[in-house]
Amino acid sequence: MGTQLLGTVHINREKHAVDRGEALRYMGMSDGGESQEVDDALRQRIEDSFTHCEECSTPAWTYRVFPLQETDEGLALVGTVLVLTGDDIRTHLHGAKYCAVMAATCGLANERELQIQSAKGTVEALAFDAAGSALAETTASACNAAIVEDAHEQGLFCNWRYSPGYGDLPLSLQPQILRILEAEKLLGITTTPAHLMVPTKSVTALVGLFDQPQEQRKSCQGCSLFQECTLRTKGHTCYQ
Amino acid sequence: MLPISTDTTLPDRRKKRIKDAYLRQVLDGQASLLFDGAMGTMLQARGLAAGELPELLCLSDPEVVTEIHAQYVAAGSQVVTTNTFGANRHKLGGSASVEDVFQAAIACARASQAQYVAADIGPTGALLEPLGSLSFDEAYDLFAEQVQAAHAHGADLIIIETMTDLVEAKAAVLAAKEHSDLPIFATMTFEDTGRTLLGTTPQVAALTLQALGVDALGVNCSLGPEALTPLVKDMLAVTFCPFIVQANAGLPQVVDGETVFTLKPQDYAAAVAPMVDAGVGIVGGCCGTNPEYLALLAEELKDRTPKERTVERGFSITGTQEAVVLRNNDVAVIGERINPTGKKKLQEALRTNNTDYVVSEALAQVEARAEILDVNAGLPDINEAAMLLELVKRIQAAVGVPLQIDSSDPQAIEAAVRAYAGKPLINSVNGKQESLASILPIAAHYGCAVVGLTLDEGGIPPTAQERLAIARRIVEAAEGAGIPREDVAIDCLVMSAATNQNEVPQILEAVRLIKSELGVRTVLGVSNISFGLPARPLMNANFLAAAFSAGLDMPILNPLARSYTEVVDTWRVICGQDTNSQDYIARYANYELAAEQAHAQAQQAAGVDTQAAETQETSLKDLVIKGERARAVECTKALLQTTSALDIINEQLVPALDTVGEKFEAGTFFLPQLMTSAEAAKAAFDAIREQTPSISADKGPIALATVKGDIHDIGKNIVKMLLENYGYKVIDLGRDVEPQTIVDKALEHGCKVVGLSALMTTTVKNMEETVRLLHEQAPDIKVMVGGAVLSQAYADTMGADFYAKDATMSARFAEDLS
Repeated sequence: MGTQLLGTVHINREKHAVDRGEALRYMGMSDGGESQEVDDALRQRIEDSFTHCEECSTPAWTYRVFPLQETDEGLALVGTVLVLTGDDIRTHLHGAKYCAVMAATCGLANERELQIQSAKGTVEALAFDAAGSALAETTASACNAAIVEDAHEQGLFCNWRYSPGYGDLPLSLQPQILRILEAEKLLGITTTPAHLMVPTKSVTALVGLFDQPQEQRKSCQGCSLFQECTLRTKGHTCYQ
Repeated sequence: MLPISTDTTLPDRRKKRIKDAYLRQVLDGQASLLFDGAMGTMLQARGLAAGELPELLCLSDPEVVTEIHAQYVAAGSQVVTTNTFGANRHKLGGSASVEDVFQAAIACARASQAQYVAADIGPTGALLEPLGSLSFDEAYDLFAEQVQAAHAHGADLIIIETMTDLVEAKAAVLAAKEHSDLPIFATMTFEDTGRTLLGTTPQVAALTLQALGVDALGVNCSLGPEALTPLVKDMLAVTFCPFIVQANAGLPQVVDGETVFTLKPQDYAAAVAPMVDAGVGIVGGCCGTNPEYLALLAEELKDRTPKERTVERGFSITGTQEAVVLRNNDVAVIGERINPTGKKKLQEALRTNNTDYVVSEALAQVEARAEILDVNAGLPDINEAAMLLELVKRIQAAVGVPLQIDSSDPQAIEAAVRAYAGKPLINSVNGKQESLASILPIAAHYGCAVVGLTLDEGGIPPTAQERLAIARRIVEAAEGAGIPREDVAIDCLVMSAATNQNEVPQILEAVRLIKSELGVRTVLGVSNISFGLPARPLMNANFLAAAFSAGLDMPILNPLARSYTEVVDTWRVICGQDTNSQDYIARYANYELAAEQAHAQAQQAAGVDTQAAETQETSLKDLVIKGERARAVECTKALLQTTSALDIINEQLVPALDTVGEKFEAGTFFLPQLMTSAEAAKAAFDAIREQTPSISADKGPIALATVKGDIHDIGKNIVKMLLENYGYKVIDLGRDVEPQTIVDKALEHGCKVVGLSALMTTTVKNMEETVRLLHEQAPDIKVMVGGAVLSQAYADTMGADFYAKDATMSARFAEDLS
């Protein structure tokens, strides 16, 4: 492992487009509304909100990579105060040499506008919210891609990103993860007492770096919403 | 806590505890001062782990901290900053007490033999309401605890730094003011957009901090000195406070796998120099700097006194993002629409806690170019102080312009201006002794501008000279209370021309006299002139023009009325505010054409009316189903000519909503169509209520809330709109609501049903708790629950009366109950 990966704070503030298909899917229009009675006027309102979301957002992401060490308490990220407990994250990172800690957000300007839109309770609120969720995912994916690329340069392989709240990895890790990344200062992300992030359109995640190629796909196994998930019962997934 | 209107004893800040004669000179702008550089960068270089709380080293490894301070002292720093940036109860999270950390940190700093020890206070680490969930009072308490510790353990001054949220900075400054007599330095941090992360401009930051009475203000962190220079110049232009700059050593970059800052010490010092030349007297470093940088800054400051600055004094107020600064003959429009007097719809909104409606009024006025918004929550049957505070919070989340806090109740005013983000305008004080004695201390303490009404114990005097005399008394009393003269604006009180015609010329003369003799700005509530007269817009517009000519600066008016905006736009050309008539030309170049178009549109609309009347029997229902809002309104208006309001509702609107609900369940309609239909129905209802005010929401009431811990409320808002369409009075309790508060409010409003929403699995337990409390304390209230993570089984387990799978189901449940 070269020094290029470890100890470096990677920051990126590139703009991204809202993935229209994804945002429409979040709105319950999984086929883009083709089969439904959606007229042009409504279509235009939704599209305008997607564009508005892009204008209001300041996407940004950051990540750092740390060596992993198995300890009695759990998986320790060497050089940080973070020790990961819980069976699911151990399984997820089993055999990994390093762990990338990442955060991505649509920014505070997006959050401010989301709350203004939300107060109106209109179609625009729904569309803006969905667009923000899609944009946060896209931004997180861009960060993830950068991690994969860095890993590849070192001859390493990544698995898919795992976020607090999945399985038995607690949301209460959120403040520590954000502190390690200095995400409050760099990205403006803070947490509420219930460990939710503000801006709400933010993602944190952990990605394992391995010597061997890994299964890249996320799956429904181990999801805490497995029983209740309405997407799954309809044969869809929340990931691509 | 309302220290002014409840007479709490506050530290006497006129007798500030200033350590020595040199520091006094610094605060008078007569001497320069060198702070230290980064602490975090130095600790990281010594192996601080990522995510570790650096403040704890003051307790566990004080020698390391002292050694860093000592290096800065050796480099020439006169002030060292304690290692307490994140030492608040929220960030320490129980790992150590705030007092212990401050005590140890101040001891470390003292041990370095520095001339001055600055107690460092950074952001809380949580975002304040309304965007976040930390309340103003909670933030204040966190800061107060730090200030008390700093004060008790012998700091020489307090530095509040790296603030991005104006209201958080204000909470910290107030905590410092109210718990200590030490000098207060305050800095905010800006992004490369030239604004803070929350959109505050440097000018707004400078005006607000200065009004709050800090002893030095400025900028730190985020950017290098070169990028900060234009922002610093913006701030220097509006503040006479001693100015502090602590820049980063450029931007962080990755070199050979290490994060380093781009600017070398020599380049850094060279980039700071122009700011010192421009009048910055207090300098230090931030991220990436070390003693090497500070030694060069010491050279730069050596034997220099800060450059004397001339700052033009003038009327200024600020909101979260924008400032209103009046220069020369500038005028500014105050929007009058958020005042329940005579406005039924707003009264109803305030009674049912429908702050969304108030926010929409605020947005519409700003869209119509109001530069200041009047906010009044005075209704006899509501708690004005609580409502005014809530409105200010909600409006400031949506609009960035300054607000005029309008009340006659000192406690309501103090509650609102205390938690206000920025420097507000208080409306109003008047010439009565009681008013002067209660309002002016509030304005002085919180750094507000204030409107003075020309009335006193003898009422409103009829002549210009008498009005001038009262105005003079108000301005003198304000200055006596420590409010600068330029922060006072006088309202000469417009009387109706129908009842007091002889006074109208006196009002205009009073405006002229007050401006020329007292040199203060003026305000008038314009529309009072036309009470009792026909064609009011005509009268109002012409009076406005006359008042501008007499010297009126800030008319209070309805910015949505075109007759007013035309006068304002033309006046701005005449008085020189609209340079080269740019705005005027842009807006009115096609004026005649616009008028013709309006005429054509009116004719077309008349045609639609006829058309709609012809097909009204069948079409309103269809229009609602199709979600055609504008046409639904037209059709409703036409229908009202021939059909009773109740018949329209029962035979058109309700069946339309039912059909939409059925389509939604059948899967041919999805949420977006459901919502456009609901919007069209809502618009139709509004049109009916406008014409038939007796038709009001008479079912329910139903209380809705997103449960404690959860901050997602779109789902709840959709349910609200649908229930309102079915004629329910909805009490919206908002998001992240305490279980007991939900119970209390539901009982207070006599609700039959409470709807609870939760999106996160982690907050379902709070939903359970709320259901339990409701059943325990209000067994007659039915509880429905909904949200992405819920299921029928979940709802049953927690004992809810109904599980609303989606918004239409919630309406059905409510209907079944009634």
